[in-house]
Amino acid sequence: MIRQDLFELAARNMRNARLRNALTTMGIAVGVASLVAMLSLGIGLQSFANQKLMKSGMFQTVFVSGKQDIRNMQRNAENDADNKPEDAPVLNDEARKKIAALPGVEEVVPDVRATGEVVYGDKTNFTLLAGLPMSARDEDAVENVKGRFFSSANADEVLLQRDFAKHLEKDSDSVLGKTLTIRYAERQAGESSTSFSIERKEKQFRIVGVLDAEPFGGMRMISRARVFLPTQTAEEMNLMQPADTQQLVRSTPGERTYSMLTVRMKSAAYAEKVEESVKQMNYSAYSYLDATKSIRRFFAVLDMFLGIFGSLALAVASLAIVNTLVMAVLERRREIGIMKALGASDADVKKLFFAEAATMGLIGGVMGVVLGWIIGRAINFGTNIYLSKMKMPAENLWTVPLWLVAAAIVFAVLVSVLAGIYPAARAARLDPVQALRYE
Amino acid sequence: MNTEIGAAIEARGASRYYKMGDTTVHAVEDVSFSIARGEFAALLGPSGSGKSTLLNLLAGLDHLSAGKILVAGRDLSTMDSEALARYRRLSVGMIFQSFNLVPTMTLADNIELPLRFAETPRAERRDRVHELLTNVGLAHRAAHKPTELSGGEQQRGAIARALANRPAVLLADEPTGNLDSRNGQEVMTLLRELNENMGVTVLMVTHEPALASQYARKSLHMADGRLIEILEASR
Repeated sequence: MIRQDLFELAARNMRNARLRNALTTMGIAVGVASLVAMLSLGIGLQSFANQKLMKSGMFQTVFVSGKQDIRNMQRNAENDADNKPEDAPVLNDEARKKIAALPGVEEVVPDVRATGEVVYGDKTNFTLLAGLPMSARDEDAVENVKGRFFSSANADEVLLQRDFAKHLEKDSDSVLGKTLTIRYAERQAGESSTSFSIERKEKQFRIVGVLDAEPFGGMRMISRARVFLPTQTAEEMNLMQPADTQQLVRSTPGERTYSMLTVRMKSAAYAEKVEESVKQMNYSAYSYLDATKSIRRFFAVLDMFLGIFGSLALAVASLAIVNTLVMAVLERRREIGIMKALGASDADVKKLFFAEAATMGLIGGVMGVVLGWIIGRAINFGTNIYLSKMKMPAENLWTVPLWLVAAAIVFAVLVSVLAGIYPAARAARLDPVQALRYE
Repeated sequence: MNTEIGAAIEARGASRYYKMGDTTVHAVEDVSFSIARGEFAALLGPSGSGKSTLLNLLAGLDHLSAGKILVAGRDLSTMDSEALARYRRLSVGMIFQSFNLVPTMTLADNIELPLRFAETPRAERRDRVHELLTNVGLAHRAAHKPTELSGGEQQRGAIARALANRPAVLLADEPTGNLDSRNGQEVMTLLRELNENMGVTVLMVTHEPALASQYARKSLHMADGRLIEILEASR
């Protein structure tokens, strides 16, 4: 029998037992809906997490520090007895250029941090200043800045942390456009190559923005700072930094060195290679790549469990298919006998029942996807009401990718056809002589 | 044993046994006969004589326990179930006492069914159904369900369906058994017309000797599973 006839006959048979088939199909729909709902929640949460983390730039970033760094000394001594910190190369301008030349590297910025006194009107505050690279513009916290980002890489402009702005003005937004003065310690070349001197300086800045969230998801040291200035501006100011005293006592004094460089790559895909290259240059390197790996593993397991729970309803629905089709075989005994007498082969009869099962699976699958999508929208809607009550921005926790739609429908058809195996075999086995015996 | 040249149906020692508990029922035993192409033959006997079982064997619905049955020279005993289905589809048509139209299908759909199994192209199918319905005088009843038709109409529809794939042989199991005499007459007339005008070989099971003598030129008489007498009417 050709396929079109098969499905025509199947559709006719299903119309003849409309209620029963409709109920079974709805069972499949509910099963598919629960599967789609569960999985799209898992996928949605995953992409939500990815989006947030990726946007933080964390995974596109490798942090490089010299091994002389005191903080690293102990760690290295434990792990690697041969690696003497005093032999390790210095993280200087030459190293910075070398790292910047590595494939995939977009930007290498020093981690500039310094203490300073901020004078605003008659208020004076001692606080932590930090350089913020221009690449931070795309970052989540900076994207939602009140006001604007730095106009250029060496602008005399600052961004303030919301708490700090509140400290300056009751209405924290009113600081925008005003100026403040930063008193800071400038490092100057010393009289000899083994010294430098420090001098107090003052510089005026214009407040261009207020940050509500902490840059880099609050996961980096600079986020503790309350005042942010463009990294280049900060570098040009020659700010005296905490690590500078360490430099003085080392073997290569006078040279500009960095306690830490932040290497930003075009994409997270380069992170591993860059980290490897930097380590070969005998610097310490760290990235959050390992963290993503475990996050991905977590979501794989979560998706699996959500999938299993979602499938349970579909498993129950498949039993309903078996039941419905076995009933149909019993009910249509005579009809099957007639069809066989008219020349239907066992395979034709079998295919007819498979076609019925597949049709129920297909309709149920499509209905289920729609239903699952509606459930998803509803949950998303509810979540966003909750989020807005908590004064948090709306989020899309619900993702129904096209592949999930296709996979769910295919899966529903597959499960239905599997459920049809027994009834179809039973129908095909039917002895036409018995079935046609005069009743 | 001599093979009759041009025989439509030939049985050689055809037997069908059933196991019922410890005993073996010899439903059909060692039956041999031959029916020429274009013949109108009747199979007679009291109920339980094995005539329906023999008809099922000829129709390829049942399997022989022993012996051979050849239809148009092809041996049914060597066919697997797929080949038998093909045989039923294309080489024989069958009609029943209880008509056996599918009750949920219209008459036209019923007649189209064997054409679907034969994978006849759709356009051709429509024409063929119309032609068949016209041949049995039911063109105006095409869209009716079997329950909306009289017994005679149903049986004529069943005949149209049996002939859908132009089989050479038509097997009829008590075709008038459920019909009143007028409708029975009509159906028998139709069978005779088909036999005479289209050359379809007809083998009809009946328990009415009168019907057999009126229409059939050859009568096979069965009792207790055996063929006891073959009568041939002179032309």
